[in-house]
Amino acid sequence: MTMRTQGALVRLVRSTLLFAMVLALLLPMIAASPAEALTVDSVTARSNQIGGNEVMGGRPVRVTWIGTVGPSESIESVVINLPDGVSPLLGDDASRRSEKLGGQPVSQDDQGSDQYSRVDVQVTSGSNRIEEDVTWVIDNERATVTFGKPVETGHKIQISVVNLVFPDADASYALTGSYTDDTGATRTFDSRAMQPIKVVARPPVEKLTDWLSDQPWVQQWNSFPVCQTFFKPQTAVSSVPALFVGWLRSLGLVLLGFPLAIPIGLAFSFLRMSKLAVLRFIASIYVNVIRGTPLFLQIYIIIFGLPMLGVNVDNYLLGIFVLAFNSSAYLAEIFRAGIQSIHKGQFEASASLGMNGAQTMFSVIIPQTVRRIIPTATSEFILLYKDTSLLAAVGVMELMMFSKSIVATSIDMTPYVVAAGYYLLVTLPLTKIIAAFEKKLAAAEGHTDEPPGKKKKRARRGSSGDSTAEDSHQENALQAAASAVGARGTGHAAGGEGS
Amino acid sequence: MTESNGVVIRIEDLHKSFGALDVLRGVDLNVARGEVVVILGPSGSGKSTLLRCVNLLEKPTAGDIWFEDTRVTDPATDVNKIREQVGMVFQSFNLFPHLSAKHNVMLAQRKVLKRTKEQAERIALEHLGKVGLADRVDYMPAQLSGGQQQRVAIARALAMDPHVMLFDEATSALDPELVRGVLDVMRALAQAGMTMIVVTHEMGFARDVADRAIFMDEGAIVEEGTPEQLFDDPQHERTKDFLGHII
Repeated sequence: MTMRTQGALVRLVRSTLLFAMVLALLLPMIAASPAEALTVDSVTARSNQIGGNEVMGGRPVRVTWIGTVGPSESIESVVINLPDGVSPLLGDDASRRSEKLGGQPVSQDDQGSDQYSRVDVQVTSGSNRIEEDVTWVIDNERATVTFGKPVETGHKIQISVVNLVFPDADASYALTGSYTDDTGATRTFDSRAMQPIKVVARPPVEKLTDWLSDQPWVQQWNSFPVCQTFFKPQTAVSSVPALFVGWLRSLGLVLLGFPLAIPIGLAFSFLRMSKLAVLRFIASIYVNVIRGTPLFLQIYIIIFGLPMLGVNVDNYLLGIFVLAFNSSAYLAEIFRAGIQSIHKGQFEASASLGMNGAQTMFSVIIPQTVRRIIPTATSEFILLYKDTSLLAAVGVMELMMFSKSIVATSIDMTPYVVAAGYYLLVTLPLTKIIAAFEKKLAAAEGHTDEPPGKKKKRARRGSSGDSTAEDSHQENALQAAASAVGARGTGHAAGGEGS
Repeated sequence: MTESNGVVIRIEDLHKSFGALDVLRGVDLNVARGEVVVILGPSGSGKSTLLRCVNLLEKPTAGDIWFEDTRVTDPATDVNKIREQVGMVFQSFNLFPHLSAKHNVMLAQRKVLKRTKEQAERIALEHLGKVGLADRVDYMPAQLSGGQQQRVAIARALAMDPHVMLFDEATSALDPELVRGVLDVMRALAQAGMTMIVVTHEMGFARDVADRAIFMDEGAIVEEGTPEQLFDDPQHERTKDFLGHII
C-alpha cells in the first residue's frame, strides 16, 4: 500500500507540469466525458474445449480483459470483479497473490498448466511491451492488479485471470470492475455493453471424463504406461462421440461403393463367360490387373492422377468410385464362380422342360447363385469396409482420419482402439450372419430331411441315406466360390487365381 | 406322315461322337405310340446318349431323329417346342433345390406353357398326388428322400403333358428300398398308355413292363425283341454275357 502511494506521489509530481500544459487543450473533451479515462477494449474467455467466443462451464478457463488508458490519465490499479458464481481456484487459501514483483508475460502455452488461479498482466505501447512492476491478488470476490508505476496514456493493459471456473450452465457473463488513477480517484467500468462471455454447460461426455479423472481406479489404471497409452478411459469416453461421424462416413463409403460394384462386377462376370474370346480377354485383363495390384496404389493413382488431368471431384466421391471399381473385380470372380458352380443337371432339367436360356437363367440359375454367393459376397463387403481406411492416406475424411486427428491432441493411442471398436461393430455381426447363413444354406441344399416348419435343422452329412451326387458337388461349388474371395483374403497382390 | 403308322419317334442311322470317341455308331429305332421300350446294356454302351439325343440334350453328329411329324435334327426346328412334349427323368433327379416340390412342378408350366398360377397349381397337386406325394407338396427337395425327389421329378415332367417320357437310369442313384416306389409310378404310367423309353438296369421291371427290350453295346443295337425273347433266349454272345453278369 505504501509503495503504491509513494509511486503515485512521484508520478503526480512529474506529471503536474504536463497536465498544466495540455489542460487548456483537452478541457472541452474532459468536460464532455469526464469518466472516460480508461476504455475497456475487450473481455474474452478461452479454454481448450470450445472454439469461438464460448467456454465450457465447470472447467478452468482464462478470462482476458484488455483496456486502454485514456488521455491524460495514469492508471495505478485495476480491480476486476468476479461475477456471481464464478470461482477462482484458490486451493485451501482465502486468496492467492503474486509472490514477486514483475508482471508475468501472458503465455498461450502455460494456459491451465497451473492448478491454481493466477493473474497474467502485460502492458504494451503500440507493439512494444512495457516492463512494469506488477503485483496482483485474487480472492473469491475480485482480482486486483497494482502497477509499480502508473500506466500512461495510450498504453494497453492486458489482464488475464487464469483458472477461473464458471458455473456449469448455459449463461452469459459481463465483467465489472474499477480502476484507480494517479490522483487516487476510483472509477468503475462495466463491460456489459460489450460482447459478453458465453458459457455453455458441460456436455454429458465432458462431465463423464471429468468424473473419470477424479476416480482413483482411473488414476491407478493410467499410472501404467501401457494402459494409458492404449486405453485411457477419459480419451475413450470422448472418442466415442467424436468418432461417430467418421464411422458414418466410412459406412457411407462402403454402402455407396459396394452396391455400385455389384452391377459392374456382374457385367464383367458375364464378359468373362462370353463366347467371344475378345470380350473374355478384356474382362480378364480388367479383373487380373485390379486384383493383382494393391488397392492402396489404385487409390494413389486415381486420387492424385485425376486432379492432374484437371478433373476436380470431391475426394470422398472419388474414394467411392475407387472402392467400387476395385471391388467389382473381386465380385466378378465371385459371380462367375457362383454361376459356374450350378450343376449342369440344372441347365439340363430346365432345358428338358422346354425352358429357354433366359427363363433358365432367371428362374433357376440366378436364384440359386444368389443364395450361394451371399456368404462370399458378404465377406467381400467386410473386406471392402475395412479397406475404406486406406483412403485416409489421401485425406478422405473417414473413421481412420478422424482417429488420427484426435490422436494428435490426445497423445495416446486410445482413439485408434475406439476406431477398432467401430470397425468391429460392423464386421463381427456380419461374420456371425455369414456363418449362420452358410449353415442354413447347407441345410437347405441337401443335408437335412426334416419336414418344413421345424426350425432346427440337423446336418445329415455322411449319412448313407439319400445323398446324391449333387450334394458333394454343391459343397465343392461353395468352396470354389469361397476361394474366389480367398485370393483377396491372402492379400491384394495375389490376384492371379482364376485367370 | 409318321403318325399314320403310329410311330412317335423314329431314329435313323444316328451317330454321335465326343471328339475321337464314337459313342453312337448308327442306331435305328422306331417307337410306336403307347409303346414301352427298355434299353439295356453295359455302361458306356451309349444308351444314355441315345436318350439324350432324342430331346437334343446332345447334338447328334450324323443321322436323323423324327418326333411325330417334326424332324428334330433339322437346324430350323424349335428345340424347346420338342422338349416341351418330350418329358425326361434323370438319374440325379435334378430338382430345383430352391423351390418346393409344388413349385418345381409349377415352374415350367407357368414359364413355358403360360398356364395361370391356379391352373399350374391344380395340375401340380394332381400329379404330385398321382406319384403319392400329396402330403409332401410344400417340402423342399432337400427335405425329401431320393425316391420322393425322383417322383417329384416325374410329376414335373408329366405336368407338361408330354407325348413321350424318357427315363435315364431313373432308379440307379436310389437306395434299394426306395427303388420300388419309383418303379411303381413308372409301371402305372406304362399301364396308362404313356409312350416310354426307359434306360434301366432293373431287369424285373423290364420284363414286367416293357413291350420291347433292346440290348445295346459299343454304340449300336446288338439285339432286340420282346422281353421274354431277350431275357430267356438271347441270341448274341454279348447279350448272353451281359445278362449272365447282371442276373
